[in-house]
Amino acid sequence: MTMQHPESETVMIEMIKVSKSYPPDVSALSDISVTIDRGEMFFLIGMSGAGKTTLLKLLCSMETPSNGLIEVAGNPIHKLKGTTLARMRQRIGVAYQDFKLLTDRTAAENIAISMEVSYKKPQIIRKRVVDLLEQLDLSDKHNTITGELSRGEQQRVTLARAVANSPALILVDEPTGNLDATTTERVMKLLNKCNSAGATIVIATHDDSIYKDTTHRVMELRKGRIHTVSGGIRT
Amino acid sequence: MNFWLTVFRQVGRNLRQTWPSQLMTLLTVSLSVLIFAFFYLVYTNMLNIGDKLGDDLRLIVYLEEQPGPEMQEQLRRKITNFDEVEEIHFISKEEAYDRFIKQLAQNKDVLDEMPRDFLPASIEVVPLKTLRGLSQIKLFSDYLAKLPGTIKVQYGQEWVERFYSFTRLLSIVVLLSGNLLILTTVFMVAYTIRLTIMGRQAELELLKLVGATNNYIRTPFLLEGLLQGMLGSTLGLLSLYLLFDWIKMQFSGPGLLSLFDFTFFPYTASLTIIGVSILLCTVGSYTSMQKFLRI
Repeated sequence: MTMQHPESETVMIEMIKVSKSYPPDVSALSDISVTIDRGEMFFLIGMSGAGKTTLLKLLCSMETPSNGLIEVAGNPIHKLKGTTLARMRQRIGVAYQDFKLLTDRTAAENIAISMEVSYKKPQIIRKRVVDLLEQLDLSDKHNTITGELSRGEQQRVTLARAVANSPALILVDEPTGNLDATTTERVMKLLNKCNSAGATIVIATHDDSIYKDTTHRVMELRKGRIHTVSGGIRT
Repeated sequence: MNFWLTVFRQVGRNLRQTWPSQLMTLLTVSLSVLIFAFFYLVYTNMLNIGDKLGDDLRLIVYLEEQPGPEMQEQLRRKITNFDEVEEIHFISKEEAYDRFIKQLAQNKDVLDEMPRDFLPASIEVVPLKTLRGLSQIKLFSDYLAKLPGTIKVQYGQEWVERFYSFTRLLSIVVLLSGNLLILTTVFMVAYTIRLTIMGRQAELELLKLVGATNNYIRTPFLLEGLLQGMLGSTLGLLSLYLLFDWIKMQFSGPGLLSLFDFTFFPYTASLTIIGVSILLCTVGSYTSMQKFLRI
């Protein structure tokens, strides 16, 4: 049994001096150190190419850091492998910028995938899918092949899939990029709901409408480095 | 939802999505099993026939002179010196004549002019059932030919040699068709699984990202291979059984084939063929996964 420091029970993400570079010598992130608490909503902003997506990829172990330590829920995620990594990923919901939808499957099937891998009962999956589609104003798209949906609709299906399994950590990359104001509001309402239910949420965005009046912390990245961290207080 | 239920749903979905290539593989596996099992069935039946014919195998040693009781004893001793034998009969010239008359039946008149002792005396040697190999029979025959006073030895050499050559050829065909079975099952299944993996690369990548375990991803592919092996071999054996039954019915009347009792594989042999096919297909599936599944 491992002894955990009490603080680690309140911390969801710990990044210490994390760097990521791609060959030959492209530095995507440099010296990122940040701590995000459980149940916190955290905004990650910056221009295109600032390193937001790379940071999210490191958090869900899609990429490994070149240097530094990344802990998610007390586990060094970049060192996890096999079933341990799979179990950890089941607790992390990710809405990718490029959606990663199965375009030959229906919206409902795409959303169900994240719950199927953790062996949820079919009736629970069906109910959750219907509920999420309704919250995102996509009820009529239940049986529509995602390849036939508009980009805005695809984006919402991606978000629904990310939150479907009620993960402890939700990483969202540009959630409102293709949405109008009303739909953006719906999306944020859903994310706030998940946050109220206890999920830690990290949103990478350059849409200032969703963070300008926020009480949560906002971290700005510039050229792969932390430029500012403003607002909010760590709980 | 438990693991196996999820896996079976995945398998069902895969089969629905890639049914044309799955069907082609199934037919190829069936055909391979059918070809192999057909030759193997012919081979096992030929061995049975060989055994049955071997029961009637006897070597006739023609002698220059009819041996007296003392010489008969000497010859008997010489023969058993080589190997134990089932039976030894001494046929006198008269006995040989009587037998010939019996065989000629209505045509016995042709022998009217012939003296009763025109046929040579002989020894009829029935070898032991353990002495069944062609080379052993040949050795025994050579030994008997060297006995003093022997004119020649006969045991239907040509026929026996042809039969053994045919059986040897069949065993080669069985081996070749066995190899064909191995190649087609392993490669066809591997190829189909490879196609499925290629076609589902995006899905497999996504499954990994949403937390699917390796077993969750791999088991359906293994199960597909296993199903291909099981269904393909069962279908192949079933087709062979129907074919066998049809042939048996067609040739059930009087004829050469009716002399022998043709039998289908026993259950154990059929189950072994199915088991080996399942194993080969699963191996095909596994190798493809190891090679192309980037998880």
